[in-house]
Amino acid sequence: MRRILEYQKARSIDEALALWREAPSARYLAGGTDLLPRARAGGASPGRLVDIKGIPELAAIEELPSGDIAIGAAVSVAAVAAHPAVRRRFPALALCASALGSYPLRHRATVAGNICNASPCADTAAALLCLDAYVRCASPSGTRRISIHEWFLGPGQTSLAPGELAVAVELPAAAAGGRAELGRISRRQGVDIATVAVLLVAVPGADRRHRVAMLSVAPTPRRVPEAEDLLDRMGASAAAQAAQAAMSAAQPIDDVRGSAAYRREMVGVLLQRAARALGAD
Amino acid sequence: MTPARWVGQDVARVDGLEKVTGAARYLADVKLPRMLYAHVVRSPHAHARVHAVDVSAALRVPGVRAAVCGRDFPFHVGIYLMDQTVFAIDRARFVGDPVAAVAAESPEAAREAAERVRVEYEPLPALFDVRKAIQPDAPLVHPDLGRYKVVPWITPQAGTNICNHLKVRKGDYDAAIRTAARVFENTFVVPQVQHVPMEVHGSAACMDLSGKLQVLSSAQSPFTVRHLLCACFGLSHGDVRVTVPHVGGGFGGKAGINLEPIVTALAMRVPGRWVRLVLSRAEEFYAAVVRQGLVATLTTGVDDRGKVIAQKMHYLWDCGAYGGYGVNVVRAAGYTCGGAYEFPNVWGDSIGVYTNRPVGSAYRGFGMQEIHWALEQQMDMVAREIGMDPIEFRLKNCLGPGKRTVTGQLLDEHAGRVDLCIEKVAKAFREPLAERPGKLRGRGLACAVKAPAMPNDAASSVVLKFCEDGVLEVLVSGIDYGQGLRTVAAQFAAEALSLPVDQVRVRNLPDTDLSPYDWQTVASRQTWATGNAIFKAAEHCKAQLFGMASEVLGVPAERLALDNGQVVDTAGPGRVPIQRLVMGYQFPDGHVIGGPVAAAAHHVPEGLLFLDPATSQSSKPVAKWTFGAQGIEITVDPDTGQIQVDRVVACYDVGRVVNPGLILGQTYGGVVQGLGTGLMEELKIDGGSGKAQNATLVDYKIPTALDIPAALEASFIETPQKDGPMGARGIGEHTMIPTPAALANALYAACGVRIQEMPLTAEKVREALKKKRPKG
Amino acid sequence: MGIPIRVMVNGQLESLQVEPDESLLAMLRERLDLTGAKEGCNEGECGACVVLLDGKAVNACLVLAAEADGREVTTIEGLGRAGALHPLQRAFLAHQAVQCGFCTPGMVMTAAALLRENPDPSEAEIRTALSGNLCRCTGYRQILDAVLTAAKEMRAAGERSPR
Repeated sequence: MRRILEYQKARSIDEALALWREAPSARYLAGGTDLLPRARAGGASPGRLVDIKGIPELAAIEELPSGDIAIGAAVSVAAVAAHPAVRRRFPALALCASALGSYPLRHRATVAGNICNASPCADTAAALLCLDAYVRCASPSGTRRISIHEWFLGPGQTSLAPGELAVAVELPAAAAGGRAELGRISRRQGVDIATVAVLLVAVPGADRRHRVAMLSVAPTPRRVPEAEDLLDRMGASAAAQAAQAAMSAAQPIDDVRGSAAYRREMVGVLLQRAARALGAD
Repeated sequence: MTPARWVGQDVARVDGLEKVTGAARYLADVKLPRMLYAHVVRSPHAHARVHAVDVSAALRVPGVRAAVCGRDFPFHVGIYLMDQTVFAIDRARFVGDPVAAVAAESPEAAREAAERVRVEYEPLPALFDVRKAIQPDAPLVHPDLGRYKVVPWITPQAGTNICNHLKVRKGDYDAAIRTAARVFENTFVVPQVQHVPMEVHGSAACMDLSGKLQVLSSAQSPFTVRHLLCACFGLSHGDVRVTVPHVGGGFGGKAGINLEPIVTALAMRVPGRWVRLVLSRAEEFYAAVVRQGLVATLTTGVDDRGKVIAQKMHYLWDCGAYGGYGVNVVRAAGYTCGGAYEFPNVWGDSIGVYTNRPVGSAYRGFGMQEIHWALEQQMDMVAREIGMDPIEFRLKNCLGPGKRTVTGQLLDEHAGRVDLCIEKVAKAFREPLAERPGKLRGRGLACAVKAPAMPNDAASSVVLKFCEDGVLEVLVSGIDYGQGLRTVAAQFAAEALSLPVDQVRVRNLPDTDLSPYDWQTVASRQTWATGNAIFKAAEHCKAQLFGMASEVLGVPAERLALDNGQVVDTAGPGRVPIQRLVMGYQFPDGHVIGGPVAAAAHHVPEGLLFLDPATSQSSKPVAKWTFGAQGIEITVDPDTGQIQVDRVVACYDVGRVVNPGLILGQTYGGVVQGLGTGLMEELKIDGGSGKAQNATLVDYKIPTALDIPAALEASFIETPQKDGPMGARGIGEHTMIPTPAALANALYAACGVRIQEMPLTAEKVREALKKKRPKG
Repeated sequence: MGIPIRVMVNGQLESLQVEPDESLLAMLRERLDLTGAKEGCNEGECGACVVLLDGKAVNACLVLAAEADGREVTTIEGLGRAGALHPLQRAFLAHQAVQCGFCTPGMVMTAAALLRENPDPSEAEIRTALSGNLCRCTGYRQILDAVLTAAKEMRAAGERSPR
């Protein structure tokens, strides 16, 4: 018995939504880099795949009049990492996108797909959390914007309603212009899921200057406001305390990639290093 | 050293063009007409009685043509110890043990049919720790151990989980250890790892309507496959043909016999149809073979001048569920337990133990990397404890001409010079270690030695024959799975017959029907064995050519020589191109002498003598030793425990460098594979269920291009192997043997932590650092 | 009952009917007998299946055949042949960067894609681009040297990788 029974290519958002509605257990297909291996391994067998890469509105990175940047759901991680405006204005996302997977994989994987898969280790999630991103979603009842802070509900779970389609990831202008430091520990130098990762972003002139996110140490990617407050109030001299706060906020588990104790400790090490590197002030 | 035209040159790979254009066909690339797809039903239990296997529902799935299980083929198989059956019959012994298999018209049908096979299991207590498995009250993995066929030089212990036990007793250990000035005992642990060939295991079989069986397999040993299949199924060698396409990496995992019995069993049910089985990557990790685990305890007694006077080794090998091939690893490790050193008094026990883990078998190094992990760290530890430089300590104790190994074998001046290798490596690290702020740096060295572990009669043979236009064809059954055997063979043949190397074709036709016998491509033996056979066959060809040329030129054959495609008179002007001789020679009056020039020759090791069963003493247990040393320079991040490998320097005494580019490839590849096992590789088995937890490249990591050191240097010493082709030995395995131990020694030098369990993960290093300096 | 697609493979237009769950890799290997791209893991971890899709390196095992409709695919077979080898193929041979050869097609295609985008990569950039192509035989050193050599030769000749 085949696991994937049908493939359909949508030409518009409305068509994608309709194709989902009429098929049992349909899934939207962007890069497929998580969806296909999972389907083959026997999990999440979609009866129908609705390919969204043919939808023009999803295919581009747009700089909006507001100064926000909208990244279409079908845009590859490689394109995001290489985009001049992303690199200049939101270097955190360029950094995290470059750390995701391998060179060939990055030509297929998408930012939207990365956060829809919602792994606790999702590389781009760290940047999106630090940048207070939004996810623009379409459903038969219309469009809405979900804050990234309300996006992740648990491992593999998002606040998308059934059949709702993530259309774009939006980076607010208010978070632009920052500097970013990514600390990432994995089992080898080359391609690997993060055993633990910490991202520190400093956005001058923003209400909250310092943003800290961590991966692989909680059921979802996580911001650490306690650490951010310390850095905002006391700058680089609070690096050690901020690290402590992050370590306390982490809820790591033991798994095949590493132990909870090591992950927790490395959260602190990585944040201290990021703070020093950024010369937090 | 004999000057050479082709040997020692950077001759391009003879099979490079087909590989770089995608033309080379590997097992899964071969289109077989109306092929059936096989799927294996595997035990989900690590240890269980198998009460019943019901394939009836599987047979009803549309497209299914065969479904078989253990009781259909109650035959044993195994290269040294026949402890496995084609499928598990009344007992499954590891998670993944084949219990049944189906063949169907499509992979989907095969998968669905496999899911419908009903098996009734009764789980039994399982063993995952070799230290528990050897206890007298441990449940038996093989209650019938005493009834299995076994070669005379392997000694399983019936009524236990011990599949082999080799004892080394040299000199008088008990007396010597009592006189030692200092005694040191340490234990070292190596987990199971997997070969991770880029091409997974795959085999196909077809029994034609005349009853002849044809097998196509990604394998290292077509003749051994044929032999073991015949022994298993009771067939005649004459009715079985095994061929091997291009092989995408073997590393020992495709030695011996693997999937061939399963596809043969299925093929027997569907005469006239090809049946093909290709493992998934997940199956490759836990259901293909792995490398044994090891718990090694070493005791070293030194005198007050830094000489080791007594050495004890206790090796507990985790052989996994079956030991058919792995028993020889236990043996080889035992008789090599002194490594690169002369130990005058030795007490060694190398014990292979069954557990309910994946099956250990041949893996590059054949036990050597594992025992060197222990021995080379022990040498460093002892040296440091007695206040001696670890390099001086090694030089003081190392083997060389006039010294004796642990089996009492006396080494002569042809054995290779580990002292020169050590000195060469040490010289490369003479400048002071540069510092890096916030990091710790260190250097470590380890030696390596190995001999081929093969039966005393392991043969390689060669056929040489000429095309009408003078091109020389070389037929071998050695497998070139990357190491460059076919290129080396071409170089030797060109050298021996004084032909341009591009006038030689080494046929890629390992075919038990058509190419001559070769035992296996393992053990770093091919350059040596096939090379020797080529030179012998060349002599026969020369005799035929000179016999004709002598008549043609009218000079005695003793005056003749070969020179660049011609037979020449060394004392006169006469010459005749070999093209005019290779099909015989026709005189102007019409009469013909000679005929198509061809020759066959073999090489078998000379004079190998069995080890004494009680003491393992033997004056010539193995054909040749290759020695080497590696030095590694690392940077340690003390806060994260991560190790960065900055520089690796390797030096091996290979007897003769046949092809610089190829030998560098073996060195770089072996070192990097060694870095993999040393830093990141471990097959993790759940201690409750026996299931592999990381049977995927997502979580079983091997080195990538980003993980290799910035500097990797290799040099070679050429102390000729007296019975090697132009002095050459073997090198294929040796390049990965010392790497993890050198890393561990470098780690100690960098930060004073000693980690005795592979791999050296960042987490382990960090933990060890914290224990050492509680303030972190 | 399959999905009809039209895909340009190595410059040749192919009209095929493919299954919904059929990967591009399977389509190339089984329907077109282009067996250069290999299956090493079927989950995008080893790179043995890398081909160019509209000029970009992708893991063919993670692309559905149906997704290749209207696109251009280049495999190792389309890169060069005896007598007309691509500089990368020549360099791999010259540097002994090939051992068992199983990773070679994917490795060469990834390098070809890299050099299209970045004709003068540093060794670090080459390592990063190739880090998704696993090799168990060579230890990568000779592969890196081959890519550096090919890049130099291609810059000198002003060549561009074929589409």
